[in-house]
Amino acid sequence: MDVSAMIPELLSALPLTLAITFTAMVAGFCLALVASTLRIRRVPVISNLVDIYVSYARSVPVVLQLFVAFYGLPLLVALFGAADFFSPNVAAMVGLSLYHGGYLSEVMRPAYLAVDRGQHDAADSLGYTFRQKIFRIVGPQAIHIGLPGYGNSIIYLIHNVALVMYIGAADVMATAHLIMERDYNQYQFETYLVLAVIYSVLCLIAWLVIRFFELRSPMQAPEAKATTQIRHALISNA
Amino acid sequence: MLELKDIKLAYGSAQILNGVDLSVERGDVVSIIGPSGTGKTTLLKCINYLAKPASGTISFDQIKMDYQRPDKTAVQAIRLRTAMVFQQFNVFKNMTVLQNVMDPLVVVQRKSKEEAKEIALHEIERVGLTSRCNHYPSQLSGGQLQRTGIARALAVRPDVILFDEPTSSLDPELVGEVLKVIKDVTSSGITSLLVTHEMQFAKSISNRIVFMDRGVVAADGSPAEIFDSPSSPRLAQFLNSEYSFQ
Repeated sequence: MDVSAMIPELLSALPLTLAITFTAMVAGFCLALVASTLRIRRVPVISNLVDIYVSYARSVPVVLQLFVAFYGLPLLVALFGAADFFSPNVAAMVGLSLYHGGYLSEVMRPAYLAVDRGQHDAADSLGYTFRQKIFRIVGPQAIHIGLPGYGNSIIYLIHNVALVMYIGAADVMATAHLIMERDYNQYQFETYLVLAVIYSVLCLIAWLVIRFFELRSPMQAPEAKATTQIRHALISNA
Repeated sequence: MLELKDIKLAYGSAQILNGVDLSVERGDVVSIIGPSGTGKTTLLKCINYLAKPASGTISFDQIKMDYQRPDKTAVQAIRLRTAMVFQQFNVFKNMTVLQNVMDPLVVVQRKSKEEAKEIALHEIERVGLTSRCNHYPSQLSGGQLQRTGIARALAVRPDVILFDEPTSSLDPELVGEVLKVIKDVTSSGITSLLVTHEMQFAKSISNRIVFMDRGVVAADGSPAEIFDSPSSPRLAQFLNSEYSFQ
């Protein structure tokens, strides 16, 4: 088997990798939003439980979190008398959503808290409601502050999706191992190299998207413009 | 029109306001002076409830509130009729100068964008920032930021405008341009409260000076009474130390 036949076979597993990534991205984002809100607004008991969840998601190795999800969730639903619907793929999505949500909440919470207290004061003094203040003033500024950290957490998520093979989900990583075993481990280096390129491209795309939003932010505009001017000045001098 | 009675406020074990009474008539320009840490800024922030006193009452025309029973509608009603200019400017960093001045009109007062823009442009012209309309805060000097803050405060057409040490975080060269704008505002007849360390300026624009010391109003009178014949030794001492720097 040569490399040209291996690449399409690896890519055929890419949709699953992407599906797990996107599910964890979306569900994790929602979880993180709820977790951050509860950790900032301190509701008794509930906020403490959320603290424990975030601490779990951030301190337990991701591969262990996947095992917990794969073996633990069926037990949990059995308690409620439901049938076990946790295929490796579903367990991977749930496990990584929980991991990403906890991790991301510690990006969102500091970003919110980093918005200058004076911005709240100004909005309050002018009679903005809480919702108006969040959507028009504090939110956009927190997004600007949090974007680089968000980009990092997305890249970590993409890396961690490679771990789902341990619970038996057939993503690109698992497929690579299947190919290698079938071929008596002849082309290990080539297969891993192709895998590395696939992950690099995924992360590059994620980085470009985040970078686009970073540069588009109005708070970024002057600095970006300044660097462009400096670059033009340097080029014209040279 | 505005009356604060027996305002008490503590941050932890530090008693900041210790029973402050203050009343302001329509058209008054009142300057609040006094040493740092005596609660001048805190008192100003009690009016629009950015600072939350433990006890005391406020009456603002027909709006009345006891701080022991905070009332959301009363707080909002007072906030809609006052505007504050901050020591740290607090111009919205994600908006241009024009958007900063327009936004409260559109979002809070529900004016149409056209009407809000017209009012905003008028106030921006008044503070001399027409050429900076579409600049973001990170592109502006301290003086320009504070003038944006003043334009934003004026645009909502407040009954009372609260200046909280508007020039304290500006470098000396920029103080002048801001004081000029404040003088223009206060001489237009709008009721103003000004916390300041600019003694000469306070003397020239105010019709009343309030001297605060250790959380209470220690002296209250016309600029002539306060500056030319200080009634208490503490006030005299304070004025001497302020003048020695000027």
